[in-house]
Amino acid sequence: MNTPQRQSWRPGGEELSDVKLEDLVSREGLLELVESVVDLFGIPIRVYSASNGLLADAAHDQEVCNYVNTFGSGRTLCGTTVSAAKSASPGETGSALHACFTGNSYRIVALEYETRNVGRLIIGPYLPAATVEVPLTLTAVEGVEPEKARVYLARMPRAKEDTIQRIADHFKRALDLIMFAGHKTFLTSQMHLAAVTESFREMQEKNRRLEEANTRLRELDRLKSNFLATVSHELRTPLTSIIGYSEMLSEGLAGDMNQEQREFVLTIREKGEQLLGLISGLLDLSKLESGTLSVKRKVVSVRSIADTALSTVAPNAKKKGVNLATNIASSVVDITVDPDRFRQVFINLLDNAIKFTPENGTITIVAKNIGMMESDGEDDDQDGFSLLTPVDPRIEIRILDTGIGIPQNERAKVFDAFYQVDSSSTREFGGTGLGLSIVKRLVEAHGGTVHVEGNEPQGTAFVVRIPASGMPPRGT
Amino acid sequence: MQINFAAKELTIKLVYYGPALSGKTTNLKSLHALTSKEARGRLMTLETKDDRTLFFDMLPLAFKAKDGGASLRIKVLTVPGQVVHGSTRRLVLQGADGILFVADSQVSETENNAASFLDLRSNLKELGLTMRDMPTVIQFNKRDLPNIRSQEEIEGMAKKGREPIFLARAVDGDGVLESFFGLLKITWSRLEAENQLERTLGLSAAEVLPLAHEKLGVEKPLSELLSKSLGFAISDPRFDAPRGPRVPGAGGIPGVGSAPRTGGKP
Repeated sequence: MNTPQRQSWRPGGEELSDVKLEDLVSREGLLELVESVVDLFGIPIRVYSASNGLLADAAHDQEVCNYVNTFGSGRTLCGTTVSAAKSASPGETGSALHACFTGNSYRIVALEYETRNVGRLIIGPYLPAATVEVPLTLTAVEGVEPEKARVYLARMPRAKEDTIQRIADHFKRALDLIMFAGHKTFLTSQMHLAAVTESFREMQEKNRRLEEANTRLRELDRLKSNFLATVSHELRTPLTSIIGYSEMLSEGLAGDMNQEQREFVLTIREKGEQLLGLISGLLDLSKLESGTLSVKRKVVSVRSIADTALSTVAPNAKKKGVNLATNIASSVVDITVDPDRFRQVFINLLDNAIKFTPENGTITIVAKNIGMMESDGEDDDQDGFSLLTPVDPRIEIRILDTGIGIPQNERAKVFDAFYQVDSSSTREFGGTGLGLSIVKRLVEAHGGTVHVEGNEPQGTAFVVRIPASGMPPRGT
Repeated sequence: MQINFAAKELTIKLVYYGPALSGKTTNLKSLHALTSKEARGRLMTLETKDDRTLFFDMLPLAFKAKDGGASLRIKVLTVPGQVVHGSTRRLVLQGADGILFVADSQVSETENNAASFLDLRSNLKELGLTMRDMPTVIQFNKRDLPNIRSQEEIEGMAKKGREPIFLARAVDGDGVLESFFGLLKITWSRLEAENQLERTLGLSAAEVLPLAHEKLGVEKPLSELLSKSLGFAISDPRFDAPRGPRVPGAGGIPGVGSAPRTGGKP
């Protein structure tokens, strides 16, 4: 698919360091402004760009200029003066005076926008107000008659220097405002264009991802449906028969068996039950993944759930010689969860702990209220902490064991289905690798989080955090 | 950042980010009002509807280091806060050198602040950046309103977070300069560390802040402005370090630390 490139234009970026007067103000508009000022004061004005191009010219011929131009040397002098005025720099102060041999003056003023030079303003020629005599530089021109020169000079527009400066300042301010408006329009149009292109690019990108995801999901969905059908039917049906018949055999319904035969049949039955458990676990997981597992929430105490879970796993723990303990703070408030599902979370975590804890080890359930300042260990990225911290308090439940522990880099993966830290541990400790995966999905279905920490000095801590219920709302 | 070597000119871009109505434009207006005429340009507001920013606001600030020396231009831009203008925010964010996150202190806005921060993070990611690449300062604005997150609470969070935090009442101008100079300080430190600006432009880190302070015509002493940060001191020399290994036990320093990201939250 043809995805448009990301816009290279950046608001507030490159384009601003290169603002040109001629880009911000149309030549027609500029000419109108210049003409209005010329009409008002009768003094010619020209505007040049930063690159010395003439942008607007509202100068009209002055009689004295036309007069000196009728003489050869006058024409030469005039040409020199005008081109010098055109290229004169406004200097450090931004305003400079350029004198003409006729006694007239030009004022050269720098034009700036956002402190950058964008061009020059040339005001003139005008006759300085203080001039009373025809200057010698004019009468010295070959052919010029002093009397005619006096008459023509008298018809020149006259102005004081501070008046000219005021005209220049006024012009600059008006032009600055127009440039600002032009700049704003320029940015707005750029922004419009960029925003539209960006939205289009974004949409294309999203569409592409959606299409991909959709294709993948459909494929997965098909696989899963097949898988579920196979599991529920093809596996369960014969398994029920295996378990049923071995049960009948062990009960002697098909005649007596010797001790060894009975043991073999019992093993068949036991393994069959184990397999059935695994298949049920798989089905649970599928339901959790597809979101079809219903969660019936009730307000329950953490202690009651912990106690029933402990009594379920107690025989197993006893068999292995592992001690069970609880340490639930009396202040721990109730939680709103599905008691059956949440008991499953405890049982799976306890089973897992028992499995990996050696004889004489201890497994402890610790529960407490936690404030908002506790960070979730799974995310060590603390940027934006002050903004991302939730307002609601939570309950933290830790299942601590003194077992073999889980290496730091394996801790996030233990919640993946079928994952075992070391595949040899499957042989040593048994298990399907589904228990923790179910725990994670169940906890998340309750709006909680679960992660693994080390239990110093030895063992593992599974930390479940779940929103508390029945707490007074914040701010009271 | 853009350097024009011919004109000896450095332009840096600071972006004010945050949820809708958290006071980004108000910050800019106050900043405009609190800085000297000589150094500030016109406050430009592009396209507003019902007084809400559609594109962005921009306040250009500019001054010369010394006669004939380099000139520094600071463009302060705001993004439109409303969720719908996502692509515009990303455009404005392009090429940003530092970010002031303007958060609303009201308890009820906690989620909006978080959502906007996540939006910032994902927009940076789209631009190939992470939060750690970006000098960031957080401002908790609207301290004058009732039902706000308490100062103790924010101080507690500031200690755990990696960004310096400033409190503000932008509408009265309170905390606006503090946040701005705090951001300028850590942004400059980062730019200096990455670009050796002292060597290339003759602008040293030690003189830029006081210079900006003087040229912008700010009355309150610079040290007083910078001392207002919560969490850890903005003058902490660790801010000056370029990206490198994380200092153990430092509790997170903006721009410092390169611990590989091990996935995010699911």
